[in-house]
Amino acid sequence: MNCLQAEEYFSAHFEDTLDYQTLQDFEGHLAECEACQQEYSRFQESVKMTQQLPQIEPSPYFTPTLMQRLAEEQREINGVKGIGTGWKRLLDVFRRPIWAVSGIVALILAIGGTYLHQEGFLFDQDPVSTVETSVRTQENRVTPTPRQPMQRHYVLKQVSYTNASTRGGL
Amino acid sequence: MLDLDDELMERYQKGDESAFTLLVRRHQQPLINFIARFINDRNSAEDLAQETFIRIFKAAHRYKPGRAHFKTWMYHIAKNLCKNELRNRERRDKYRVDNVIDSGSDSKGDSEEIDLIANTPANQAFQPEVALERKELRNAIQKAIAELPEQYRLPLVLRDLQGLSYEEISEVLELRSGTTKSRINRARLMLKDKLKPFI
Repeated sequence: MNCLQAEEYFSAHFEDTLDYQTLQDFEGHLAECEACQQEYSRFQESVKMTQQLPQIEPSPYFTPTLMQRLAEEQREINGVKGIGTGWKRLLDVFRRPIWAVSGIVALILAIGGTYLHQEGFLFDQDPVSTVETSVRTQENRVTPTPRQPMQRHYVLKQVSYTNASTRGGL
Repeated sequence: MLDLDDELMERYQKGDESAFTLLVRRHQQPLINFIARFINDRNSAEDLAQETFIRIFKAAHRYKPGRAHFKTWMYHIAKNLCKNELRNRERRDKYRVDNVIDSGSDSKGDSEEIDLIANTPANQAFQPEVALERKELRNAIQKAIAELPEQYRLPLVLRDLQGLSYEEISEVLELRSGTTKSRINRARLMLKDKLKPFI
């Protein structure tokens, strides 16, 4: 065992937790090395001094102030309970981050889905067919004409040409 | 079998509010001592200890007696609060250094450090000279502890001032047992070098 290795065992020797073989090696090194003897003696002394530092007492105001704050917290908790057990449970669930995040994501998806559905981006709905449907409804569905894919295409094309020309394109 | 802390927590969970008061009384002194020694500031230590108890109070319904250890849970919460406090102070100090040109007037830290030692009851010795020597030594030890890097200071305070076992310290700091032992040994070696003039 060299000096650096011996230093690693200072605490274990001080606390008497070394196994037999390491204890023999450590004490063998210390018997031969005066520098390590001195260092270990200083080590023991400084640990003892540190352990003898006095405990810091709480001030006389500590406990009354804390009790007052705890009573306030209790009132607040009781206030939340007063809202109703169902709401309390719901709030408790949403205090957990994973549930809170899941809830927010579900809400965004629901709002986004509703918006896209209304705008006609979902389920093959386009503005033209929506308009046609509403017109038909107003005319009390007199002649329900089947949708013509080609006509629809033509109308959409027209719209896109119009948009392009107003933007200064074709 | 439940230890007394767990039993008190269980009683509190069942509605016995006096059980929590008893828990506070049992742990307030060691907790304040730990925080004060770790952050080197007695006044803030009381505030942080109060905050620790309030957090425990709020989370008490989630505590499972017998599965966790109350003491390590309490120190874990206190440790996190202390780290936040030190981080905030560092930011504040940085801001102050950036904005205050006259650094000579900034001696509040030193006075707080001395107060921490002076306010301990053990200083009331009979002989003034001996008392002064002891006070100087305690100041030196506290200063040496405060100068240790945080990763060494924390396990040292928990071990040598709070008397926690290595297993408990590993639980509080979320470290492996070997790492905890090696950090405590390293901290003690550093302290020994810093206290050389007094030994």
